[in-house]
Amino acid sequence: MASIRARFRGALGSFRITPFVGWVGVLGVILLVGVAAGLMVFVKGLSITNLNDLVPWGLWITLDLSSIALSAGAFLLCAAVYLLGLKQLQPVARTATFVGLIGYSMALLALIMDIGRPDRFWHSIVFWNTHSVMWEVTMCILLYFTVLILEAAPILGGAAWFRTRWPKLAGRLQTVHQLAPVLAIVGLCLSLLHQSSLGAAYGVLKARPIWYRPDMSVLFIASAIAAGPSLTVLVSMLAARLSRKVHVDDRLLEKVASFIGWVLVVYLYFRFWDAFAMTYTYAPGRTEGLQLLTRGPLAFNFWVLEIILGAVVPIFILLRPKLRARQVLRMVALALVVVGVVAYRWDTNMAGQLTVVTYLPSEIVTRYTTYVPSLVEILSSAGVIAYGALAITLGVRYLNVVDHRTREAESHVVAPALALPASE
Amino acid sequence: MTEETIGRRGFLKAAAAGALAIAGLKVVRAARASEPEGSSPNSWGMVIDQRLCTGCGQCTLACRAHNDVNPDISWNRVIAAGEVDGKTVYLPRPCMHCEKPPCAEVCPVGATYHRPDGIIMMDYDKCIGCRYCEVACPYGARAFNWEAFTGPNPAVPEWGHPEVARRPRGVPEKCSFCYQRIDRGLGLGLRPGIDPEASPACVVACPVGARLFGNLNDPDSNVSLALAGSPHYRLREDLGTGPRVYYLPARKEA
Repeated sequence: MASIRARFRGALGSFRITPFVGWVGVLGVILLVGVAAGLMVFVKGLSITNLNDLVPWGLWITLDLSSIALSAGAFLLCAAVYLLGLKQLQPVARTATFVGLIGYSMALLALIMDIGRPDRFWHSIVFWNTHSVMWEVTMCILLYFTVLILEAAPILGGAAWFRTRWPKLAGRLQTVHQLAPVLAIVGLCLSLLHQSSLGAAYGVLKARPIWYRPDMSVLFIASAIAAGPSLTVLVSMLAARLSRKVHVDDRLLEKVASFIGWVLVVYLYFRFWDAFAMTYTYAPGRTEGLQLLTRGPLAFNFWVLEIILGAVVPIFILLRPKLRARQVLRMVALALVVVGVVAYRWDTNMAGQLTVVTYLPSEIVTRYTTYVPSLVEILSSAGVIAYGALAITLGVRYLNVVDHRTREAESHVVAPALALPASE
Repeated sequence: MTEETIGRRGFLKAAAAGALAIAGLKVVRAARASEPEGSSPNSWGMVIDQRLCTGCGQCTLACRAHNDVNPDISWNRVIAAGEVDGKTVYLPRPCMHCEKPPCAEVCPVGATYHRPDGIIMMDYDKCIGCRYCEVACPYGARAFNWEAFTGPNPAVPEWGHPEVARRPRGVPEKCSFCYQRIDRGLGLGLRPGIDPEASPACVVACPVGARLFGNLNDPDSNVSLALAGSPHYRLREDLGTGPRVYYLPARKEA
């Protein structure tokens, strides 16, 4: 930390506001506003949100679900490197692990604001109802977050400034790398379970007909497998473009990008049959929920953000070698995948809650309600996103999380690091 | 260090073992959450006679007073539900105390649970306020405490006196069949559903006697007899939740 501060002081001392300082400054301001909004939530409670008894889950849950989905690159690339033996992807897995760690911490921040009793967050660890999908989700978050911390430990231990200052600790952190294959297996199981369970958390609710279908978990995992690596590759490409110090192997990133294209095809395939099957026969609540998506207030999100921009356009770009090779186009495609999955999570969460199925006798009637997040919800969410962007920015700058030259380097320095003299 | 990737066989074995363990755990515990632990000779249930209900709302007020409920919240809503013979029919809606309660199934910490006598309880000290139960309930029976209920309760003392502690901000609350009255009454040797002191406040308050309460396990209880003698229905029976609240429908005069 001291070293970071010293570098900051150095930057300030020269009185030059570089684009980096400007970017960090802007994120810092948003982060501070977000912290203030978050504190207001803790002090005043959820009454200052626009959540209500008909729509108890809103923007924060979308932020939570999106952060988790966008973290999926970590388990996927670690599995590719350590289980499938695609060692050349190791530097990309390193970036993905860091992005995943930050993503999961963002989800935790969103959740702590969302629960009515943040002071009792530890109850979810101590008191178990193993039948609850939410219990499973909680356990997966906590265990996988631990795995991510362990997987990311060598990144910190490998940073030059850290090694110089605390050589012994750095050495110890780097030895965690030996566990990488085991962590990759554990991470794969936990993460697959977690991503699918988030879909199942909606899918098991019979009271919400538009959610009550077994393929929710399949769709959640498929979209996460597309979106997670997208963010990782996008971050890598952006970092390489914005900083001269960051070096990437574009062939690797292109390879991952084409993989994403194929995953999107699979996702769209599932999505099509899932939606198509629902158009047959009238089912109270479900039909209205689908109409909300295809013709109602969520139609723009559904058709434009989720399907056309979020899947069809990226498939077209990422699966055509000529288009994919153009870096700007590829980055646009990856950004669209990210937007698409966020829109999907938002729309899913909304469709089930905006359609209220009556319980009165006679015929089952569906009523509509509305939800627009309050300013406090928006600002605090912006704060969480700013935190994530800031953490990734600093990670790129000071932890070399995007560096395709250091491949295998970590595994070699394990022993020497212990004896490394305190100079670079 | 030169690590080898774990063999595909080894990985599959580990993954299969993990998946089996989790699946096993879930199957073993699957029956648990929606079913009560222990047993009881009682199975409390309510019968609401829509032929008698006038929609006066006194049940709601008595409920608010006895359970110290925020005026913004109703554990027991009275809803106008159509007309028969030109007269409005009302549907009072307490918690259904389902036999297969979706809320108890989804609660991550087990804060809402199933008593052996059928009452679906809330442990307000355990709840973390995730609101999954609220999303899962098909009957809208749960209301969240978006803010703390402070100050006097306007239903007190006219409609009764609080018998339970106020719920804090940040947890959902719902009807408990006035478990405190039942438990205390049984301790005093009273009969819930017959003796007012041992019956839910709404049942006692109803000026036309439209609500009956009693033991569904006992074929001679007032609720069992009422159900045996009249056509009845429950709300959203198609969902398979098995509500313990039965309705005797208002019908056209023959």
